[in-house]
Amino acid sequence: MNTITIECLRYHPESDAEPRFQSWPVPFTDDMSVLQGLQYIKDHLDGSLTFRWSCRMAICGSCGAMVNGVPRLTCETFLRDLYPGPVRIEPLNHFPIVRDLAIDQADFLGKLQSVKPYIIPDAEPQGTYLQTPEQMERYYQYSKCINCLLCYAACPQYGLNDRFTGPAALALLHRYNADSRDAGKAERMEVVNTEDGVWGCTLVGYCSEVCPKGVDPARAVNQNKIESTKDYFFRFFRK
Amino acid sequence: MKTYIRPMSGWWKRNPFYLWYMLREASCVFITAYALMLLWGLYRLQQSRIQYEEWRESLSSPLSFAFHAFALVLVVYHSWTWFKIMPKTLPRMPLPDGLVVVGGVAAVVACTTALMVLI
Amino acid sequence: MQVVQTDIVVVGGGGAGLRAAIAAAERDSKLRVALVSKVVPMRSHTVAAEGGAAGVTREADSLEQHFLDTVSGGDWLCDQDVVEYFVAHCTEELVRLEHWGCPWSRLPNGHVNTRFFGGMSVQRTWFAADRSGFHILHTLFQTSLKYPSIKRYDEFFCAELLVDDGRVRGIVAIEIATGNLFVFEAKAVVLATGGAGRVYRQNTNAGTVTGDGMGLAFRAGAPLRDMEFMQWHPTCLPGTGILMTEACRGEGAILVNKDGYRYLQDYGLGPVDPWPRAKAMELGPRDRLSQAFCHEQRKGRTLDTPQGPAVHLDLRHLGAKKIHERLPLITEAAKTFAGVDAVKEPIPVCPAVHYTMGGIFTNVRCETPIAGLYAAGECASVGIHGANRLGSNSLVEIVVFGKVAGDAAAGYALSGSFQKGPPNVAEEGLTSLLSNDKGERLAVLRDEMRDTMEENVGIYRDEPGLRAACAKLATLRERYRRGVRLDDRSRAFNTEWLTALELGFALEVAEAMAHGALARRESRGAHMRLDFEARNDDAFLKHTLARHAGHAAPRIEHQPVTITRSRPRERHYGGEGKKATLT
Repeated sequence: MNTITIECLRYHPESDAEPRFQSWPVPFTDDMSVLQGLQYIKDHLDGSLTFRWSCRMAICGSCGAMVNGVPRLTCETFLRDLYPGPVRIEPLNHFPIVRDLAIDQADFLGKLQSVKPYIIPDAEPQGTYLQTPEQMERYYQYSKCINCLLCYAACPQYGLNDRFTGPAALALLHRYNADSRDAGKAERMEVVNTEDGVWGCTLVGYCSEVCPKGVDPARAVNQNKIESTKDYFFRFFRK
Repeated sequence: MKTYIRPMSGWWKRNPFYLWYMLREASCVFITAYALMLLWGLYRLQQSRIQYEEWRESLSSPLSFAFHAFALVLVVYHSWTWFKIMPKTLPRMPLPDGLVVVGGVAAVVACTTALMVLI
Repeated sequence: MQVVQTDIVVVGGGGAGLRAAIAAAERDSKLRVALVSKVVPMRSHTVAAEGGAAGVTREADSLEQHFLDTVSGGDWLCDQDVVEYFVAHCTEELVRLEHWGCPWSRLPNGHVNTRFFGGMSVQRTWFAADRSGFHILHTLFQTSLKYPSIKRYDEFFCAELLVDDGRVRGIVAIEIATGNLFVFEAKAVVLATGGAGRVYRQNTNAGTVTGDGMGLAFRAGAPLRDMEFMQWHPTCLPGTGILMTEACRGEGAILVNKDGYRYLQDYGLGPVDPWPRAKAMELGPRDRLSQAFCHEQRKGRTLDTPQGPAVHLDLRHLGAKKIHERLPLITEAAKTFAGVDAVKEPIPVCPAVHYTMGGIFTNVRCETPIAGLYAAGECASVGIHGANRLGSNSLVEIVVFGKVAGDAAAGYALSGSFQKGPPNVAEEGLTSLLSNDKGERLAVLRDEMRDTMEENVGIYRDEPGLRAACAKLATLRERYRRGVRLDDRSRAFNTEWLTALELGFALEVAEAMAHGALARRESRGAHMRLDFEARNDDAFLKHTLARHAGHAAPRIEHQPVTITRSRPRERHYGGEGKKATLT
């Protein structure tokens, strides 16, 4: 069995003024993820190491962290691929640290609410709506977002200005706008059109690179720059 | 609830992806400078042939040559990034993203070659 | 200690909890609903459900057939009046999810498609690729944001139920970020905290599935019912237990042993042809498939993998297009976690603990014996799963009974009042863990519990093993009481503290499982006794009730099963049948 050094950024709000690194040697097998490495530390070496995790199969979105400077889901990042290490684990960039690897997600949750991520119906049908696979294709990709926040950790614009609505929330906004069952686009365009809406994006494009689910939030955001532009010009004709 | 907010200073040095992004953004400065130079040449041309020749003369210095070579590299890089992100800004295409990028680049190469041949 | 007064507390932010909160908010927007969850709702374990949710829509289908499939699937331990209510309300709830935006997979004509599932006689399972639970959860969570009367308390760990005079009066919860204690005073409480699969070692469950809600209700005096019925899902990755959905088989995948032989035909599920056909071979129920695996293992016909014995789940004949369209999540998971390309190679799989059929005893209105306390979803035993749950009945259970619980709690809160006087909060019991200087390491106790359950309360059980498990669990509870020594003594985001509290619940829930299994001297559904191989309706056509008895072992009682129209008979799979055309 090989051993790898895992170094974690640690911060305790009750005793630390600022974060520091601490490292541990962790024995690992080829099938062990970074998350399992962290669990090993917690179980056997230091029970105070704090991190979130849940499903361990890359669908719940809890366990995101910076792994050697890159935002990753720790459950699907394997220690064998980082050997010989050391592996440096930090909380997701651009978020306030609550403790160790746990970040404060409240800002994102507020933004998610602000984009009205639910169907705003015109008139509900008897039975189900009809929606062809082609119509579904237009939004389905964006509905795969697991809210893991890796895209926010990848987005320097969000780091520089936390009022920016940000990649995942805008992708979900687009998901509902593009859904044939929805009639709430006009309400959501108010969020899109602001400086902190899609115009806060400068197309760094890293959000789409790090997305573990192929959502491609950069595409959603930039589609909406076009929508926003159309909205701006066509409003003169609408009057 | 007490939290710790990490500073952003020097963020663009933290990841090669950000460096390439900053290079893309910075390339605008050189591309603008080049465009202004070209405009200046046009202005000289409408003044007289002699002044136009003087302008051309002024471009033949080694310094100017270095600037143009550098600007060319940046233009090529900038164009590449432009095509690379183009699929994200287009409405839904029936083609895969890669093909859109390759198509865009191929069109540029074809137009440039055609221009070279014509002139 | 901060006090929050609210009309209804919903504990748990998974599918059932969210549906309950929405139902209560829709019933009366003046009711204040507090949604208390130890994780942000979209992290809840509903997210990991893959296959789909059952609801009768096809012309060839009927409520009667869904009823019969469910009751026979549950080996006649279901309460049939509850199953009747359940099957009659499945489709309307799935349609409601559709209206709320759930991206159900469609037929080319725009109608919702359905797929086959094990033990179901018709294609009845609504699905959203193989991310059905994920989409249901996100749809419910995002829809819940519409209702201003739902106030969320994300990352609050519910540590105690407050009950006075047989009536619920609220909960005590720990705000995880700060470690502060909160008292939620409420007229009604809905528990929707999920299952307890994590009392076992190899399981498909998220780390959060530790049986907290069952433990809370159990300690407060509500009985746990049918806890010996634990479901092993037959197709999971060895080692991690990561789920390879039953939908693989619903779409036509096959199971073969190390010789490439479709071994299920040897265990009452054959003949192989015509294939595919409903309720036969790979489309048999989960209990039978997991049991068949054990027999294959005993005969030495399983494969050896570094993570343990396995058989092969073969999808290759479905073709790349269908695999990627219908089963994208498990294709990704097989690649990431097992290094297998499902399009080109078979996936090694084995059974792993998946679902807790039993739970907090409730009636069809989701009422527990404690007034004002409701339970829904996996933490509850409302009576639809019996001795073996059919795949795709639980994803629809969470919305059907989540709604019932939310409605009922709202009705109770509207007519009820707050109890007078300050509640009696056992703060000391929660915080004393933070000051133990002596004691054992948490992980040691946890791992011993899991190994005991895995070893002695497994797919096949016998009296000596179960007695050993009961004794071991009693010792573990005693050791836990004597002291767990935590490395972390602080309050802010102390996950070690929370894990210790979870272990306290888990140990008691595990004990209810082992004692229930010991008392059930027959084999039925997922409960297989090597020493009592047959079903015994005369003695055991009844539910098991476990009652909390303080530090002592739980008291086991039995309760009659409600039979309305389907008399128990032999449970039958395989045999003759028409070849099915899959859509």
